[in-house]
Amino acid sequence: MELNKFLTGTNSTSVLDNILYYLVLAISIFSIIPFFTIIINSSLVNFDYSLLIESQFLTYVRNSFMIVSCVLILTFIFGVFSAYLVTFHNFYGANFFKYALILSFAIPPYIFGYSMSAFFENYGVGYSIINFFFDTEMANIYLPDFSPITNSVISLTFTLYGYVFLLSRASFINQSANLIDLGKSMGFTPSQRFLKIILPCARPGIFVGLSLVAMETLSDFGTVSFFGVSTFTTGIYNSWFIFDDLETSNFLSLLLLFFILVFFTIENLSRKKSKFHLLKNDRRNKKTDLSGKKKFFAFLFCLSLFTVSFIFPFSQMIYWSIKFPEYFENLNILKLNLNTFLIIFCTASLIIAFSLISNFGNRVFKNKLLSSFSNLSISGYAIPGIIISVSIISFLSLISGISNLNLKTLFIGSFYGLILGYFFRFYAISFNGIKSNYLKINYSIDESSYLMGFNKFKTFYEIHWPILKKNIFFIFVLISIEIIKELPITLILRPFNFETFSIKAYNFASQDLIEAAAIPSMFLIFWTSILILISLNYFFDEDK
Amino acid sequence: MKNFFEVCDATFSSGHKHELKNINFDIPNKGEVVCLIGPSGVGKTTILRTIAGLERLKKGEIRLNGKLLSSRGVLINPEKRNIALSFQDNCLFPHKNVLQNILLGLERANRKEFLFSPHELLDLFKLKNIQNMYPHEISSGEAQRVSLARSLISSPDLLLLDEPFSNIDPILKEELQNLVKEILIKTKISAIIVTHDPNEAFYLGDKCGIIISNKLRQFDTPYNIYHFPNSLEVVNFLKRGSLVNVKIISKKILKHKRLGIINAKYGCSNLNPFNEGNSVKLLIQPEDLEHDDNSNLKLKIIDRKFRGTNFIYTLKTVDGELIHVLVESHHQHLHENNEEFGIKTPINIDHLVCFEKN
Repeated sequence: MELNKFLTGTNSTSVLDNILYYLVLAISIFSIIPFFTIIINSSLVNFDYSLLIESQFLTYVRNSFMIVSCVLILTFIFGVFSAYLVTFHNFYGANFFKYALILSFAIPPYIFGYSMSAFFENYGVGYSIINFFFDTEMANIYLPDFSPITNSVISLTFTLYGYVFLLSRASFINQSANLIDLGKSMGFTPSQRFLKIILPCARPGIFVGLSLVAMETLSDFGTVSFFGVSTFTTGIYNSWFIFDDLETSNFLSLLLLFFILVFFTIENLSRKKSKFHLLKNDRRNKKTDLSGKKKFFAFLFCLSLFTVSFIFPFSQMIYWSIKFPEYFENLNILKLNLNTFLIIFCTASLIIAFSLISNFGNRVFKNKLLSSFSNLSISGYAIPGIIISVSIISFLSLISGISNLNLKTLFIGSFYGLILGYFFRFYAISFNGIKSNYLKINYSIDESSYLMGFNKFKTFYEIHWPILKKNIFFIFVLISIEIIKELPITLILRPFNFETFSIKAYNFASQDLIEAAAIPSMFLIFWTSILILISLNYFFDEDK
Repeated sequence: MKNFFEVCDATFSSGHKHELKNINFDIPNKGEVVCLIGPSGVGKTTILRTIAGLERLKKGEIRLNGKLLSSRGVLINPEKRNIALSFQDNCLFPHKNVLQNILLGLERANRKEFLFSPHELLDLFKLKNIQNMYPHEISSGEAQRVSLARSLISSPDLLLLDEPFSNIDPILKEELQNLVKEILIKTKISAIIVTHDPNEAFYLGDKCGIIISNKLRQFDTPYNIYHFPNSLEVVNFLKRGSLVNVKIISKKILKHKRLGIINAKYGCSNLNPFNEGNSVKLLIQPEDLEHDDNSNLKLKIIDRKFRGTNFIYTLKTVDGELIHVLVESHHQHLHENNEEFGIKTPINIDHLVCFEKN
C-alpha cells in the first residue's frame, strides 16, 4: 500500500495501474541498454593511450572531421538558401519544389554514392553521355576524378541537406511579417534583410537541422565504406569484425559517441530555444514576386538541386536496371519486398506500441523516476547503428557470461536481434513524436475526463487515442522510411540469408557490381519516395 | 445534524507553490452555494482540484454526505466521486463537437433520472446553433458555456466552478449569472464557485469565503462579510472605504480629529474588545457619510468618479487621510477637484467596524 502511494500518488491503485507502472519502467530501462553497455564496456577498457598517436587513429579523426565540416557547410548553403527561396518568394514551381526537395530523404547516402561512382567512372554514364553528344573517345578527360573524401562529401550533402531545408523552412514560416516589414522601413535591401533579420531569427532551427546532419554524417557507414574512407564507423567495423580487436573498437565507439553527444546537446538546446522564436498570433509573411532574371535563377537553383539530389540517382538506378535486365533473374524481388514489409511491420508496431505505453504511463503517473528514465531512453537515436549493433552483441555476451541464459543464439543473427537493433535506434523517433503530440493535449483534458467518470484506461481509449491516432500513422511511416534505408544494423544483426533492399544493394556494390546494385536500389528509392509522399502532411504541419 | 459537505482543518497544497493551512468551511444543507474569493495565485483553484480528487489532501478531511472523500491517507479517485468541475481554461475534448462533449458528461451518471435532458441544456445555455461545431470553432465564452452544460448534465452531488464567467463578455455575463443561480436553486445542486469578483460572489453565494495570503480569513454570509469584515486584510482586499484614526469615547461613540463625533446609529459596533480612550482604526464606507452643502464640516475634493447611478468623491483631510463619499448621480451640484465638500454632521454610521492600530 505504502509503495503504491509512493509510486502513483494515489491510494486506490488497481492491479492494472501497477502493471502499467512497471511496464513503463521496464520499457524505459530496456531502451537504454545500448547506452549503458557502451559505458560498461568503456570502463572495462584499459585505455591504451598509445592508440591516440597511432597513425590510423589520426586518419579516422582527420577524415571524419573533414567530411563533417564540408557536409555542414554545403548542407547549410543548399538547405537554407532553397528554404529561403521557396518560403519567401513566388517563382515558377516554388510550390512544387517545396515538396520535391523533401524527396532527397528517399535516397540513402550510400545509394547516392553508387550513382556517383557509376556516373563518373571511366566509361561510365557520364562518358556515354558526352560520347553520344560530341562523339569523342576522349570523354574521360572531361570528367572530374573525385577523391574518395569528395565523393563521400557530395553523397552525404545531397542526401542530408533536407534536414536543414525542412527545419530552416519551419522557422522561416513562423517568422513574424512585422520583423521583415520593420527591416523594409529601416531601408534594408533584400539581401540585408536576409542576412540581418531572417537568418539570425531562424538560427535555432537551422542549428537543429545542422546538428542532425552532423550526427547522420558521423554515423554514416555505407557511404564511407563504399568509397573506402577510413572514418570512425569504418574503423569500428573493421577492428571489431575483421581484426577482432575489441579494445580499439570500444575506444573508437566511445570517442565517436563523445563527438555525437556534442551535436546532440547542441540540437537539444537549439530545439528548446527555437520555441521562443515562434510567434503564434502574428501575421505571417506574404510571398514576394521575384523579377524576371532572379525568378529564373531561383527556378534554376531549385531545379538543379532537385535534379542532383533525386532525379540523378533515381534515374540512373532505373537506367541500369533496364540496361541489365539479366540481374532481375538473380533476385527474388517478391521475397525482398516481403522481407522488407515484414520487418517494417513488426518493428514499427513494436516501437509504436512501446512508446505509446511509455508516454501514456508518464502522463498518468507524473512520476519523476519514470520521466527521467524515459528521457534517457531517447538516447538511442544519437548512437550510430554500428555502435548499437556492437553493443547489442557485447550486452548479450555479458548476459550469457554471467548467467546460463543463452540469449546469444536467440538474438544474434536472428530476426529478433534485428528487431532489437532497430528498436534501440528508432525508438526515439516514435517516443518523441508521440510525446510532442501528447504535449499538445492540455493536461486538464485528462482531468475533465476523470471527473466525468472515465478511468485511466478509458481516458486513453476515448480521449487520447482518437487525438493521437492520425499522427501515429505518420510516425509509422517515418520509422518505415528509416528502416528501409538502414544499413549497418541490418548488415550486422540480420539472420543468415535474410536480405533487404539495402543489404542487396550494399553487397553488390561492394563487389563492384553497381549494375546489379541498381535494381534493389531502385526498389528502395521507389518505396521510400512513396512513403515520403504519404507523409508530406506531417512534414508540413507548421504551415497550418 | 451532519453537514452536507465539510472541509475540516484541511491543508491544501499543489506542489511546493502555495500551501493553504487550517481551512474549515462547510455547506450545511444540500443546494446551498459557497463562493471563494481571493487574489489570483492564492490557491483557490487548488482547493477545487483537491475537492474534485485531482490533488491529494495534506492534512484534515473532506466529507460529502457524511462520506469521507479525502484525508491524509485516503483519496477516492475523481472518477469515483460524483463531483463535477468546470475548469477556468475550458477543457473541451478537441475531437468531439459541442453536443458530443456535453453527452460525455453522462458517462458517470449512474442514476436513472436526470435533471436535464441534453436538449434542455442546449436551450438553457443558448448552444443550439453551435451544437455541431468543434471546440476550435467556437469562442471562449461559448466554450465556457459548453463546459458548464457538460458539468451539469451528470446531475452532480457537488458542482465546482472555477472562474465560470471570466471569459464571457459583460452583457452576457450577468444573464448567465442569473441563469446559473436559477438553475442551482431549482435543481438544489450544491456548488462551490471560485471567483475574484466580490460582487459575483455576493450575488451567487449563500456564504462566501475570503482567502488571503494562505489563509481563509473570513467565512460568512455576504452581508456580514460586506458590513463586518473581520480583519484589515479583508477590508483591503474588498477595497471598501477607508480607514481613519479615531478615539473611543464609549462603546457606541467615537471621536475623529476632523470629522468630530461619530455615533453608532443602531448601537451596533465591534468595540467590545477595546477599552475606552484607546485609539483604533475605523472603517468608513462610501455610503456611511452624507453630503450636505450647508454643513460646516468641509473637506477638500481630490477626485470624483462617475459610476452611473452615483458619484464617488474622494476627500482629503488636512492630516492627509482619504475618505470616500457616495453621492447620487442625480445630485445637481457637481463639485470639481480642489473645491470644498460639505458633510452632514453629526455623523451616524450604521455599523461601527474598528480595528486595532498597528
